[in-house]
Amino acid sequence: MESVFLQAGDWAFIASNGSYLLVGTIVTVLLTVTSLGLGFLAGFPAGAIEVYGSGRLEDIVSTVGVVLRGTPIVVLIFLFHFGLPIPDLGDIQWLDIQLSTFVAATLALGLRSAAYQGQVFRGAIQSIDDGQMEAARSVGMTKLQAIRRVVFPQALRRSVPGFQNEFTIVLKDTSVAFAIGLAELLTRAENLYLQPGRGTAAMEVIITISAIYFVLTFTTNRSLDRLEDVYATPGGNE
Amino acid sequence: MSLLRVENVDKSYGDEEVLHDVSFEMDRQDVEVIVGPSGSGKSTMLRCVNRLTEIDDGAIYLDDEEIHSIDENDLRRRVGMVFQDFNLFAHRTARGNVTLGLTEVLGLSKEEAQAKADDYLGRVGLAEQADSYPAELSGGQKQRVGIARALAMDPELILFDEPTSALDPELIGEVLEVMRDLAEGGMTMLCVTHEMGFARSAASTLTFLDEGRIVERGPPEQLFDTPEHDRTRQFLGELTDLH
Repeated sequence: MESVFLQAGDWAFIASNGSYLLVGTIVTVLLTVTSLGLGFLAGFPAGAIEVYGSGRLEDIVSTVGVVLRGTPIVVLIFLFHFGLPIPDLGDIQWLDIQLSTFVAATLALGLRSAAYQGQVFRGAIQSIDDGQMEAARSVGMTKLQAIRRVVFPQALRRSVPGFQNEFTIVLKDTSVAFAIGLAELLTRAENLYLQPGRGTAAMEVIITISAIYFVLTFTTNRSLDRLEDVYATPGGNE
Repeated sequence: MSLLRVENVDKSYGDEEVLHDVSFEMDRQDVEVIVGPSGSGKSTMLRCVNRLTEIDDGAIYLDDEEIHSIDENDLRRRVGMVFQDFNLFAHRTARGNVTLGLTEVLGLSKEEAQAKADDYLGRVGLAEQADSYPAELSGGQKQRVGIARALAMDPELILFDEPTSALDPELIGEVLEVMRDLAEGGMTMLCVTHEMGFARSAASTLTFLDEGRIVERGPPEQLFDTPEHDRTRQFLGELTDLH
């Protein structure tokens, strides 16, 4: 019997659908960028509030964080997609996606990422020696000035390795948008081998998108390594 | 009129009384050195003056104004502080450490702040190191940056909290030299230190604090040579032998 795996014809089939997978890759990258952006915009203040906040606000932020971190990402994405009254925002034709589906995926991935990025940042703030704050206050800076000009710049630098993890996790988890039919890389991959008579190409397609995911995570991590080097404080931290 | 007047100050941490009925006065250009065993409340006394720590009872006056009636940031601008562990801003160069307070608190322009920072770094002998980051400096250099950072704010008084205690022995001299220069230049200084040589030669007044109380206070030669209390003799004798 002839092997059904890794046939030359299947590779040719993938090559002829290169641009189809490229569009899926673009959706994956876009979803990663919007989700990480939302995650940073919400996670940065959340981490700061967990350190410096008090009372109700801090309670709310930390509770929301616990809930988001404690819920499976597929469940979150269903919750936001089917549970939120997101209006029909139309389609993005060339990417073949519904904007409202993309928004639901961004909210699920972004807010969950915020819950983790918040923890990264909280830990980084708490790792800054109390003496830094005291020194800033002792020249007459307000607490806010001290946080903004002394604590945050150092905490952000220390957050880079944690953010690096987050980048990788969010990029890979964009594939769960498959569950709500967003035409990202995994969805488009499946569309290819589900075509009549193309079932034999399933393994080749999966191997191809695995390679694409790997290249994306690898290059992103290398870029962040460089960023860390560029912004590192000469001589290291105290 | 005294620049700093401490009146009947009490301070406790929980059940532990750290300062008990402490009173003293300093005039402008005085160099007051506080000595005492560890845990005697010396550092707490300093920190009460710029309100990094709040007193429980009593009063502290800066230039006849009770410090709690002064805006705390304004008070801290007027009272500089040099820390045992330097506490330099780790992400900023030596120059950046000095300029931050100048731009953020005094509202100087970036150019003015840099010129002033370079001037003060020069005075502590660190003109060459202006662009170095704290982690690239020796302990003695770090502490001199710490002194320049405090000085550049034009304070009326500088608090020194064991400025040489975290230094290797061979680096202590360069910091004490800067402090001596400051004292001779008329800066008002309140210092906690174990450097008996500095206490003897630079202090205008020496205070011996033990268990939160002032045991004895007077000109350094009096405390060193003819102390009234055995406890003073014992403590200063031990430390002088040691150094």
